[in-house]
Amino acid sequence: MIKYLIQKEFLQIRRNSFMPRIIFIFPIMVMCVMPWVMNQEVKNIRVDVVDYDRTTISQQLVHSIEASNYFIFNGQKSTYQEALKDIETSTADIILEIRDGKFLIAANAVNGTKGSIGSAYLSQIVAAKITPTAANIPLDVNTLYLYNKGQDYKVFMIPALMGILMMMLCGFLPALNIVSEKEKGTIEQINVTPVSKWSFILAKLIPYWIIGLLVLTVCLVLSWLVYGITCQGPLGLVYLLAVLLALFFSSFGLIISNNSNSMQQAMLVMWFFVVCLMLLSGLFTPVRSMPDWAYLTTYINPMHYFADAIRTVFVRGGGFQSIAHQLLALSIITLIMSVLAVASYRKNS
Amino acid sequence: MDVIEVRHITKTYGRVKALDDVSFSVGRGEVFGLIGPDGAGKTSMFRILCTLLLPDGGTATVDGFDVASQMKEIRKCVGYMPGRFSLYQDLTVQENLEFFATLFGTTIDEGYDSIKAIYSQIEKFKDRKAGALSGGMKQKLALSCALIHKPSILFLDEPTTGVDPVSRKEFWDMLSMLKERGITIVASTPYLDEVRRCERVAFLSEGRIMGIDSPEIILDRFKDVFNPPGINHENVIGSNGENVIEVSHLVKAFGNFRAVDDISFSVKRGEIFGFLGANGAGKTTAMHILTGLNQPTDGTGTVAGFDIRTEHEQIKKNIGYMSQKFSLYEDLTVAENIRLFAGIYGMKDDEIKTKTEALLRQLKFEEHKNDLVGSLPLGWKQKLAFSVSIFHEPAIVFLDEPTGGVDPATRRQFWELIYDAAKRGITVFVTTHYMDEAEYCNRISIMVDGKISAIGTPDELKQRFHQPDMDHVFTYLAREAKRGD
Amino acid sequence: MKQFVSFVIKETRHILRDKRTMLILFGMPVVMMLIFGFAITNDVKNVRTVVVTSQMDHQTQAAVNRLAASEYFTIIATVATPKDAEIAIRHQKADMAVVFAKNFASKHSGVQIIVDGADPNMAQQWTNYARQTLFPSENSPLTSHLLYNPQMRSAYNFVPAIMGMLLLLICAMMTSVSIVREKERGTMEILLVSPVRPLMIIVAKVVPYLLLALIILAVILLMASIVLDVPLAGSLGWIFVVSLIYIALALSLGLLISNIAKTQFVALLVSAMVLLLPTVMLSGMLFPVESMPTILQWVSAIIPPRYYIQAMRKLMIMGVGISEVWHEVMVLIGMTTLLLTVSLKKFKTRLE
Repeated sequence: MIKYLIQKEFLQIRRNSFMPRIIFIFPIMVMCVMPWVMNQEVKNIRVDVVDYDRTTISQQLVHSIEASNYFIFNGQKSTYQEALKDIETSTADIILEIRDGKFLIAANAVNGTKGSIGSAYLSQIVAAKITPTAANIPLDVNTLYLYNKGQDYKVFMIPALMGILMMMLCGFLPALNIVSEKEKGTIEQINVTPVSKWSFILAKLIPYWIIGLLVLTVCLVLSWLVYGITCQGPLGLVYLLAVLLALFFSSFGLIISNNSNSMQQAMLVMWFFVVCLMLLSGLFTPVRSMPDWAYLTTYINPMHYFADAIRTVFVRGGGFQSIAHQLLALSIITLIMSVLAVASYRKNS
Repeated sequence: MDVIEVRHITKTYGRVKALDDVSFSVGRGEVFGLIGPDGAGKTSMFRILCTLLLPDGGTATVDGFDVASQMKEIRKCVGYMPGRFSLYQDLTVQENLEFFATLFGTTIDEGYDSIKAIYSQIEKFKDRKAGALSGGMKQKLALSCALIHKPSILFLDEPTTGVDPVSRKEFWDMLSMLKERGITIVASTPYLDEVRRCERVAFLSEGRIMGIDSPEIILDRFKDVFNPPGINHENVIGSNGENVIEVSHLVKAFGNFRAVDDISFSVKRGEIFGFLGANGAGKTTAMHILTGLNQPTDGTGTVAGFDIRTEHEQIKKNIGYMSQKFSLYEDLTVAENIRLFAGIYGMKDDEIKTKTEALLRQLKFEEHKNDLVGSLPLGWKQKLAFSVSIFHEPAIVFLDEPTGGVDPATRRQFWELIYDAAKRGITVFVTTHYMDEAEYCNRISIMVDGKISAIGTPDELKQRFHQPDMDHVFTYLAREAKRGD
Repeated sequence: MKQFVSFVIKETRHILRDKRTMLILFGMPVVMMLIFGFAITNDVKNVRTVVVTSQMDHQTQAAVNRLAASEYFTIIATVATPKDAEIAIRHQKADMAVVFAKNFASKHSGVQIIVDGADPNMAQQWTNYARQTLFPSENSPLTSHLLYNPQMRSAYNFVPAIMGMLLLLICAMMTSVSIVREKERGTMEILLVSPVRPLMIIVAKVVPYLLLALIILAVILLMASIVLDVPLAGSLGWIFVVSLIYIALALSLGLLISNIAKTQFVALLVSAMVLLLPTVMLSGMLFPVESMPTILQWVSAIIPPRYYIQAMRKLMIMGVGISEVWHEVMVLIGMTTLLLTVSLKKFKTRLE
């Protein structure tokens, strides 16, 4: 009988004016706009140069700054105060001051990453200009960037976006669907029929899993077509991880929808937890930089295991062995969640 | 002088003509009824008169003000109670009343007299949230809120749908009081006894006025719509049939409140059993226990031979259910709904196909097979929902106020379907607020305050309580109710 | 006036009775502040480092000790070949490897840093730090100075952003949903037919949310200065004035959404899609606007929180005067006027 229920869900999705659009627009949004937005690359830093010494070196530095991809030369200022004014009105980000043969770099560090990376870049430029004369230490350090040779932020973000996508499609949508049946009262009609709770739950989830995996496939294709970014490891593992994550968020959504009476409530609660899980997962910032209490939460955060594992497979080209530990953890968390979800749905109270 | 003047009003929604050249007038202090089947355009008419909608053509004046241009003036002098008047669920009874009183520039104390008869029934729950009241209680509170101020003109769009007969009488008594004070009342209603209490009625059908006259004349002229001949059926059920529902000492308590308080009864195979009671008497709760949606607090019972405590999933295989709220999926077509529910009960594809064809033929629904259920008129939806609930030939079908808000002709067709089902041996367990429908049942029980205060055939009950008809029997018993909920 | 007061009381009751939503409304700022203030950092800390050397001589040992002693790096293993190091990185056991050449001791050179480049920014930072730790440069004529936020705390950057996001969410989403709820339940019909003026209905709906927003603003500011040690460098008065303008803007947006949406669900979705998503993505809250392609930079120019967040970063963190943010404030005022006019014009006093 589950066949009929699944059919019904698909019909309803098709009839809904909103759902087909979401399914169509979502992957395009996620793959064609988001990678450009979720870009923490530091570039276009505007530099003010203040040269009290009036030497030629400042000219050379301005040339190097203009030549660099990271900087935009904003102008020469006659005093440091004047340059600071630029920073205060946000027309400049960094000041390079030259006085008595000494160089001072003052960066606006309200955004710490931008400030520190910017000043590091500028230091390198300045150092390259001045060290040949004062070279006493041979700084022979070369750096090898593994996996992401072009230092492209998109390579880092695309696997994360796939996780977010599965979460939205398989977590939010079925949860809202169930709450809306509750609000309309049709769920009562289903509850007096012999439909078992497994069939009911599975019939609600399977369509969204199918849609989720379909959209994931479209995303993988888009990422290859648009950016030339492809999965380095076995593709099967990407799907396995996606399915596990989808299962977790579906169960999670189910628990919330079984305990909420209105869509607004369900949406707010869901959103709250999802944002926390996502921010603390290492999708955006390294987990090892977190304070201890926050780091401890990553042990039970499925998104953390997912983020780690999918990047290992997708970017670093790791195989099953590389992510065995994460797979195990993710499976256990998902299993516990599913059991709780099925237990939370009651046909008879 | 006429307070309300309606001249050639038209209103269309897309391709549908909701109102087509409607004209009538209402005199000051008159009680005017607007009647007609579901979807006739009554609600659109009310909304135009309240300045909530702009007519596409024609003019209308209320108290001398034009509905299109003098919105502000009209809104100052009219009172309106929409069909789905909804309260603020998270405010208490008193807070709701207080808010609406202030909104209309009055206070509860000032308006108390005009709502006493109904409000006193729910006053003891004044600190309870409106959302926690039963359906009928909500309606009573809504009536109180609508009547708390004294507008010079009152528009009531099916104000008593889902309200028990006793409260309906009280409500109309209140309206008579208002009329004595010179208030003009325009009301719509599906109940014939209420139609008779209007001075003049306009019969609206498919957006056109079919006639305006005194209730007797209108009801007589259109008697095939309003007063279809009673259904003749022979009582084929012998007293020797086996029991399909057996309940003894059933109790359901929510905290200290006993919604169902020690009831016992049995229903025989093939019987049409009417389960009556005032709003909040505990009917819906009892029905939920029988259908396996709720666990009883105490007592035992079997439905179709299965225990209601432990074998509720078995019970669900053998019953059909149709609830107060409309229970098909509005965004699926007629055929898809049938297929879904048939599939749920484990019917095979070919069987579904042939049976669907037959059913649609019987209901004369063939051309609407692929229409979305949401686009059908209420009466059709109800008939369809019932047919779907017995599609899998269950032993028993439970109907929770299946005909609420439906016009008499459609109700009559609905009962023909019920008789049909009973003839095929399906036991029908039905709740209703229409006392003419109570007469159609083989046996009825009347619940008051969570207990069953009478049970028997309609004739037996009339004799036992020395009353002329079921309406009076019900009023006689329900007046003894202590609690309002 | 009496009607107005009773209207506001009713609205306040709706808010207070919905316990779960209240919990979220106040819980969200607190949790967000904690997460953004403490947990979301790009600090270089505990970078798992593998040392690759074939012979651990004195010089190499000294260099490794310098790495180990710094709080930035944790030496987790010493392996013989770069290949082993790479496997450790691939299995996510390590983030970085430092390879010392055979002749490191004699020539003071020949160091290679192999780094997990998956996250380009962090990779860059790690190598910068490693280089400085391995070869500390003394007497360089070059000094760097990080203004306003010398410890590079990300909270400084995020607190204004959280304010921008939450105020918008609370004001716009909650007002729109509460107005649409009345439409959906049918109570709006009664309110409209009552003698109360439509403008009063709107104002009375909005007042409680305005108060709520101000309370939440105060909570955020208090938490920022007490718990997160973020300085409130600018004038508190101006912070509130600019915030009030922004709240007015958010409320008008909410009103506008309620005019368009027919059901609560649609109102929620529109709020999430049209407000929340662009705010998080394009306002410069998490991702710097300068790094985006030009088209997206244009799009971000019409997103109100962008200006509010920028103004707050300047006022609160940099401590500049109001004259330095007049540009942002003017944009906000302009947007508010526009939105308010449109939404009041569009407010329907009839049904459709």
